[in-house]
Amino acid sequence: MPDPVYLDHAATTPVRSEVLEAMQPFFGARFGNPSSVHRWGREARTALDEAHERLARCIGASADEVVFTSCGTEADNLALLGVWRSRRGAGRKAVVTTPIEHKAVLAASHQIEREGGEERLLKMSRDGVVDDASFDALVSEDVAVCSIMWVNNEIGVIQPIHELAQRARAHGVVFHTDAVQAFGKVAVDARTTPFDVLSLSGHKIGAPKGIGALYIRRGTPIEPLMFGGSQDRGRRPGTENVAMAVGLARAAELAAAEREHEWNLLAAMRDRLEAALLEKIPDAVIHGRGAPRAPHILSISVPGTDSESLIMALDLRGIACSAGSACQSGSTSPSHVLSAIGVPADLASSAIRMSLGCMNGDACITRVCDVFPMLVDKARRLAAV
Amino acid sequence: MRERVLVAMSGGVDSSVAAALLVTQGYDVVGATMKLFCHGEDLPDRPCCSLDSVNDARRICEQLGVPHYVLNLESAFGRDVVQDFVAEYARGRTPIPCVRCNTFTKFRDLLRKADAIDATWIATGHYAQVRDGVLHRGLDPAKDQSYFLWGIERSVLSRMLLPVGGQTKAETRAVAHELGLELIAEKAESQDICFVPDGDHTKIIARELGADTWSLRPGPFVRRDGTVFGTHDGFARYTVGQRKGLPGGFREPMFVVEIQPDTGAVVIGPRQELLGRGVIAREVNWLVAPPRVGDEVEVQIRHHAAPARGTLVRVDNGEVEIALESAVSAISPGQSLVLYDGSRVLGGGVIERARRELPILAA
Repeated sequence: MPDPVYLDHAATTPVRSEVLEAMQPFFGARFGNPSSVHRWGREARTALDEAHERLARCIGASADEVVFTSCGTEADNLALLGVWRSRRGAGRKAVVTTPIEHKAVLAASHQIEREGGEERLLKMSRDGVVDDASFDALVSEDVAVCSIMWVNNEIGVIQPIHELAQRARAHGVVFHTDAVQAFGKVAVDARTTPFDVLSLSGHKIGAPKGIGALYIRRGTPIEPLMFGGSQDRGRRPGTENVAMAVGLARAAELAAAEREHEWNLLAAMRDRLEAALLEKIPDAVIHGRGAPRAPHILSISVPGTDSESLIMALDLRGIACSAGSACQSGSTSPSHVLSAIGVPADLASSAIRMSLGCMNGDACITRVCDVFPMLVDKARRLAAV
Repeated sequence: MRERVLVAMSGGVDSSVAAALLVTQGYDVVGATMKLFCHGEDLPDRPCCSLDSVNDARRICEQLGVPHYVLNLESAFGRDVVQDFVAEYARGRTPIPCVRCNTFTKFRDLLRKADAIDATWIATGHYAQVRDGVLHRGLDPAKDQSYFLWGIERSVLSRMLLPVGGQTKAETRAVAHELGLELIAEKAESQDICFVPDGDHTKIIARELGADTWSLRPGPFVRRDGTVFGTHDGFARYTVGQRKGLPGGFREPMFVVEIQPDTGAVVIGPRQELLGRGVIAREVNWLVAPPRVGDEVEVQIRHHAAPARGTLVRVDNGEVEIALESAVSAISPGQSLVLYDGSRVLGGGVIERARRELPILAA
């Protein structure tokens, strides 16, 4: 069988060798607890402080504005629940978000509703962009926090975060964006884009799973989710994961430095893939095609096929893709993102997400351009029987 | 090129050993666990989508070095199996969802997935055997599951592999140990209906039809002559032949002999009122060339019931009627009537009703 092709970088990426190398000392000799007063503690503390500074620099922030978390989900939860809980007393009981968010944001928003808040979901265009009129209608003086993901993890659509953040803040609303898929692809800079809170995840950019970060602009009201020691100014108690914080900082530096080059590389591959697939399968639908999109995600539906069978058939030929979103059991279920942007159920059930990254080159694209249309043909022949 | 087989894996010992045996026989094995229902977050002890079973199946496949997939057949299963289950109880019958799951879910919907990945074969851990395109009872009489397989399309038999059907359960466990499948080798047998979480089927009925649905409302216990003997708490809780939960004070043991969904009555009577000399089944499916009126067959009206001798007195419009050589007890509408010739499964149907008098063969 030819070399396997990994087209699921939006799910996770391998740890980069530079990152592994940067983390290594903290699994060995520099094992100290950053809260300890002795030399082991000091060593760890210095590395942790540097990790804060280095990650902050990557997003135009100050070191004290960065909190390390265990993952992107924790960062999203801290952002929504932490901000909302600290503001609910002040007449701001609503949370505004989109129906195409990652489950981490949607579930945190549902939790806010259970705690007495009001969840407001924005309307989306058919291409997956926030509807302006809906934004104006829902974002008002009674909103505590507005959360809109920068780049959608299923269809790659980029939201106009700069304008949305500005308009939210004009109403005194704290603006959060989940930048887990955006970082390393679009320019993320707290000095030029007026978001208040921003989530990052390590394993999408070559750091390990189990580390994320939350940017919190100075002066943003936020409560911790957990209670314990005074680590990270009490915003995130618990002994810090020094090695992984260092790893995330290193990965972020690399991603920020390579961002434009990476964009061009991935966009060229994505464009070639998209054009070839559309040429061979003229009735295929590319989701979010009419909107600005990040270059690493291609969401394609072929009428008359089902994604579950296609993904199996692709995997058995060594090509790894994913469907909408994965359930805990690993089965595929209909994508809430696609249904929220008005994709009919039968088309949504055929959606395949191909996400490009460091493990791809031209040979991968060529192979997918051969195999995918062939499997689609077969699936359609079977469906016709 | 090795032939590919899609193995339906529940995470239990039978299907795991089935997959393992096929690997040793040189097949290109692909494992699949069907996600058929979701209890949501209400049952933390039994996680969403039988997660533990899925994980066991996946780990066995990893150990065997074969791919494993979770297939979401929830909506089709809900329509073909769960809704029918609930509707049958509402009609005062006692359905067997496993039969419909085999007919529609495993050997139809899953077969389509097999087609999609070029799998020639489909395999399960059922204790039954296929020889020359004919379905036979499993070798182990204590485990024989052929009773549940009468509904599958006849043409599917030529694509079915049932690797454990020719051995006993003890042998299956021994093979599991031999092959190092310790994870599941001593796993307990599942007795419940998979989508009924705690063995209480009325919860599913209440969830689907509402707690105040007719079949769960109080109604009378009556005798055949119409005499009322108290009140029951919903006829869906009763099945023909049941003894538990009936009013006392009779000289002889009493049983449910009939359920009358129109009036909501549960008819009770002594043992002899349970006896039937004939049985009518609908939705009949044949796994061999259809037999003819007058043919003698063996019939089984319940899983594990001893086969009874009978004669086909009517075969038409998807229905059959059998005259039983001697009386059979507790023929329950909704259960399956399966026709055998020795170990061969001829076909079957869903029991519509019993006849107390011997049916006469139409000339």
